[in-house]
Amino acid sequence: MEAAVVDAGSKILKAGLAIPDQAPSLIIPTQMKRMLEDQDGFSADNSMSEDVTVDPVVRGCVKDWDAMEDLLHHVLYTGLEWEVGNEGQILFTEPLCTPKAVREQLVQLLFETFNVSGFYASEQAVLSLYAVGRISGCTVDIGHGKIDIAAVLEGAVQHIASRRFEVGGSDLTKLLAQELGKSNPMVNLGISDAEKLKEQFACCAEDEVAYDKMLRTSETEEHTLPDGQVIRIGREKYTVGEALFQPSILGLEAHGIVEQLVRSVATVSSENQKQLLENTVLCGGTTSMTGFESRFQKEASLCSSAIRPCLVKPPEYMPENLELYSAWVGGAILAKVVFPQNQHVTKADYDETGPSIVHRKCF
Amino acid sequence: MYGGDEVSAIVIDLGYHTCKAGYAGEDAPKAVFPSVVGCIDQMDADDDKENNDSETNNSNADSNKPKGKRKLYVGSQALGFRRDHMEVVSPLKDGVVVDWDIVDNIWDHAFKDCLLIDPKEHPMLLAEPSSNTQLQREKTAELMFEKYKVPALFLAKNAVLTSFASGRATSVVIDSGGGSTTVAPVHDGYVLQKAVSSSPIGGEFLTDCLMKSLERKGIVIKPRYSFKRKEIQPGVFQTVDVDLPLTTESYKLYSQRVIASDIKECVCRAPDAPYDESSYSNIPMTPYELPDGQTIEIGADRFKIPDILFNPSLAQTIPGVDNFAEISPARGLPQMVIESINRCDVDIRKELFGSILLAGGTASMQQLKERLEKDLLEESPQAARVKVLASGNATERRFSVWIGGSILASLGSFQQMWFSKSEYEEHGASYIQRKCP
Repeated sequence: MEAAVVDAGSKILKAGLAIPDQAPSLIIPTQMKRMLEDQDGFSADNSMSEDVTVDPVVRGCVKDWDAMEDLLHHVLYTGLEWEVGNEGQILFTEPLCTPKAVREQLVQLLFETFNVSGFYASEQAVLSLYAVGRISGCTVDIGHGKIDIAAVLEGAVQHIASRRFEVGGSDLTKLLAQELGKSNPMVNLGISDAEKLKEQFACCAEDEVAYDKMLRTSETEEHTLPDGQVIRIGREKYTVGEALFQPSILGLEAHGIVEQLVRSVATVSSENQKQLLENTVLCGGTTSMTGFESRFQKEASLCSSAIRPCLVKPPEYMPENLELYSAWVGGAILAKVVFPQNQHVTKADYDETGPSIVHRKCF
Repeated sequence: MYGGDEVSAIVIDLGYHTCKAGYAGEDAPKAVFPSVVGCIDQMDADDDKENNDSETNNSNADSNKPKGKRKLYVGSQALGFRRDHMEVVSPLKDGVVVDWDIVDNIWDHAFKDCLLIDPKEHPMLLAEPSSNTQLQREKTAELMFEKYKVPALFLAKNAVLTSFASGRATSVVIDSGGGSTTVAPVHDGYVLQKAVSSSPIGGEFLTDCLMKSLERKGIVIKPRYSFKRKEIQPGVFQTVDVDLPLTTESYKLYSQRVIASDIKECVCRAPDAPYDESSYSNIPMTPYELPDGQTIEIGADRFKIPDILFNPSLAQTIPGVDNFAEISPARGLPQMVIESINRCDVDIRKELFGSILLAGGTASMQQLKERLEKDLLEESPQAARVKVLASGNATERRFSVWIGGSILASLGSFQQMWFSKSEYEEHGASYIQRKCP
């Protein structure tokens, strides 16, 4: 039976059986609604219930274990059609710098509650590189809850040259809602509506000069929200994209994405810098913003470094929109290698040694 | 007595240049960041504001306000961003901690931002300089137990940890780091205090010499924040200087040092023979591209700078290098090693000569091991078999103290040696002298 691969992001959970070169079969939102009629059940779909949302994964890390358990229950038994008593093997992805305690808890949950027969965990940065056919390079993973810039050499993450930012798509949504609130004072905008507007309209200006020009022109579009209100969107859609390259818009004292990438890679020895920067991979939902890739390349030619970052083109046989789930695809590729070769944590290993076995077997 | 559980210990090595922190049992630290911090003294920022604001609510109180309020920026991300009035401050001076507030902030950053752990749940292994005073150790213990409430603590000397990292209980450890070079013999896991010698020549001194030498040749290193590239026509780029008058001198120096140390790491090599002006005047120049696009050529400096380790008086020949009085009594590296070994007991000298370990960032310089071995063979007594060991991997040399700590804290037999919280509460901080020799 194929192994299951699960990539739990802050906003979207990607899961499926490990069939390489394909998109994951299950792409569902991680956010859950709490059902208050049933004593302790969580519903993973938007069925009719109280409007109390629960986020099991916050900023990339699992925070609410009960909710996570229910979510996994739905994913594995309903979504991937596992049978109770005949659970298979599972591969999990994890973000940069996951604390050891979180890993151990995940292993414990899977072996004791779900009774899986095998487990493996790997870092998202390494997997995203596998998806484009590389073992060394840099990944810029701009997700909903966090941005991870990681340098990977020969399949091992170089923590010295990796950085994480607690900024992500959710902050961009808040920014958009704020900006739209300023220019449309009559309209009452909820966060989920702002999220949809962001996905539809947000884009990046060509460079800083073009952005300044956009700020001054005020060509606006009209859009009708689901509840009937009409909202005008003009330069706010460029502001959202610009915030990634000029974080001062979000109120943060930091450099833009490309500058951060170049600076963190500069700490690695110079023979490797070239290899790293010339194999840069963009992944994460936010990178599919219109104009992001070309702006990234433009900024790369202007950044303060001798070696310029170059983006890698995904192979042709990979599905479209690879950046939305590249970690999942990499996981599917890895699962095909790890499980048949018995390099994973088996039930017997877990019973013998306990949760700490995960640190020894999964790097 | 703290009998270690499954929870793994955290190993922290606060050096002069970088702070390394991570879990015990791993082969490299997860958190590596500079051990200097950016500091904005609120008074300076307020002075500017006062001139601009027309009303100040507590104008009377401001003039009498003590210097207590200041904002610290820790970590490579925070430090990498240029801010007005931000000074770069180091908590260490001559190897001794002078500003405990900064050390506190550094540890906090390592725990909360980099490793994402709760210090209450992990025993801590800290690396300390080989000649640390009792007062410093007590203060460390106090800070760790009172503020972070760690369950257990151990302080191990840098030299001992390096020795363990290479699997030896007896060796001479040459720790050449950012701020200084220390030679310490270790015998059966204990540092022989009377034979420890140190010299202020470290990586930062070499970087400064390189910078002064390049300045003399007219090459100006522009810090990363001081220029911007503009595309004036498609495909044609131009570098434009950005004027930021409120940047402090210390920040400018810090940014220049970062670039200069990268140049040093790329191009410098230890020469095979003592440096001589005439023999190196005709060597081909190596090109290096600076971040702003300028390409510079480095010739004789490639070999002159590393040779300062072996012959400190060479630094005199570089115009503009100050602090000269401090370094003039310094000896070269081979002399320090011989002197150190000679201060030990005659019986162990042979063993010490046979295991000389190199550790530290500056020790990862190319060809350093070969040159040191050669010099030592000349100066040592005939009967001694000199062997200099250094791990081939440059990262391992740089982090060898941390790796030794990682090994030590994960040994089963070490778990009974921790200085636990209950022992601290019972006997006080001075008990650390007994528990951590």
